[in-house]
Amino acid sequence: MRLPWRWLLSVTSAATLSQAHASSWNMPVGVTDISRDIFGLHMTIFWVCVVIGVIVFGVMFYSLFRYRHSKGAKAAQFHEHTSVEVLWTAIPILILVGMAVPATATLKNMYDTSEADLDIMITGQQWRWRYEYLGEDVAFTSNLSTSREQIRGEAERGEHYLLDVDEPLVLPINRKVRFLMTSDDVIHSWWVPELAVKQDTIPGFINENWVQINEPGIYRGQCAELCGVNHGFMPIVVHAMEEADYEIWLAERKEAAEQEAMGVDREWALEELMARGETVYQSICSSCHQSEGQGAMPAFPALAGNEQLIDDLDWHLDRIINGVSGAAMPAFRSTLNPVEIASVVTYTRNAWGNDTGDVVQPAAVAELITQ
Amino acid sequence: MWPVVKSVLAALLGVQNDRQRQHDFSTGKPAVFIIVAVLVTLIFVLLLAGIAIFAAG
Repeated sequence: MRLPWRWLLSVTSAATLSQAHASSWNMPVGVTDISRDIFGLHMTIFWVCVVIGVIVFGVMFYSLFRYRHSKGAKAAQFHEHTSVEVLWTAIPILILVGMAVPATATLKNMYDTSEADLDIMITGQQWRWRYEYLGEDVAFTSNLSTSREQIRGEAERGEHYLLDVDEPLVLPINRKVRFLMTSDDVIHSWWVPELAVKQDTIPGFINENWVQINEPGIYRGQCAELCGVNHGFMPIVVHAMEEADYEIWLAERKEAAEQEAMGVDREWALEELMARGETVYQSICSSCHQSEGQGAMPAFPALAGNEQLIDDLDWHLDRIINGVSGAAMPAFRSTLNPVEIASVVTYTRNAWGNDTGDVVQPAAVAELITQ
Repeated sequence: MWPVVKSVLAALLGVQNDRQRQHDFSTGKPAVFIIVAVLVTLIFVLLLAGIAIFAAG
């Protein structure tokens, strides 16, 4: 049902849309109906405040000038004036109720996560996002891809400094997508301004939100809840594409996942594991243990030359699969697959002079995970 | 009863003239004001809920 108040929103939104696109000072209009409703509310309330401000300060400054002391004005002395008091109490009430009506309707719409076409589980982890396309057997982790050289100031900063990821969240346009949002460790917040979604992800809770994107494009966001030392290094990138393109992407991801699963049973060579392991290490592990395994004490121990790691393969595997309780090291049994775990363990046992010669096969890791 | 309701509504709005306030404090019974105030507050809450439900369609 199209409510009458929407007319007001439409008028104020249309009047300010063009300026908003050009202005970096205002909030974004966004690319969903909800984001446009929120922008319309924002502008409606802004102009209400402007009108009130002009009237109140206009009357005040006029009175200050017109009835100034130097012209012989004398202050009125009276105790009460019921009619005026009722008027200046009733008018703000009516204004507030008038603003609350469209705001309530928009809020109700924002929280209506029913009848979604696609469900995606979003899990915050220190310091990355994991996306699972429920019912599609597609899941991946999205990591910051800005180079360490840029962060350390050794290279020129790119256009999307700290806002680039290795794997963006891919969504189809014109479909209602429901997000189920939680966290593995501390509270994070998944925030993409263009989608008008800012939702806390809380360990032990599942929050819901939804989007239906109208325009294809790349939309960027960040974690909006201070979540630890690398809070600024877990951006969000959403790639919204046409439905047909999305179906092609989904099919490719499913095929890749199947091939990855098949790879668990075959014998992997040291060189293959090292190449894959370096990729996994740099995207997942290097934010804490640093790019050359030198660590950052006291929170993140060095892996290069770490005697316990070198001497005890079982201990090493246990740390990766099960994490370390009470420490920053998370369990990777559900976020990395056996091939990724085997390759990153092999890599860290043979890189930076560790040279153990150990080759950990994915099949062995898969067996450990199922125990 | 109507003067009591008027006084309760005035309290809800936060505006009351001094003459009526003196009258309420000299002649009214507190229990009557309290009961009427609870009922008026209940009606007010239901009214707000109704507005919210209407606005949300």
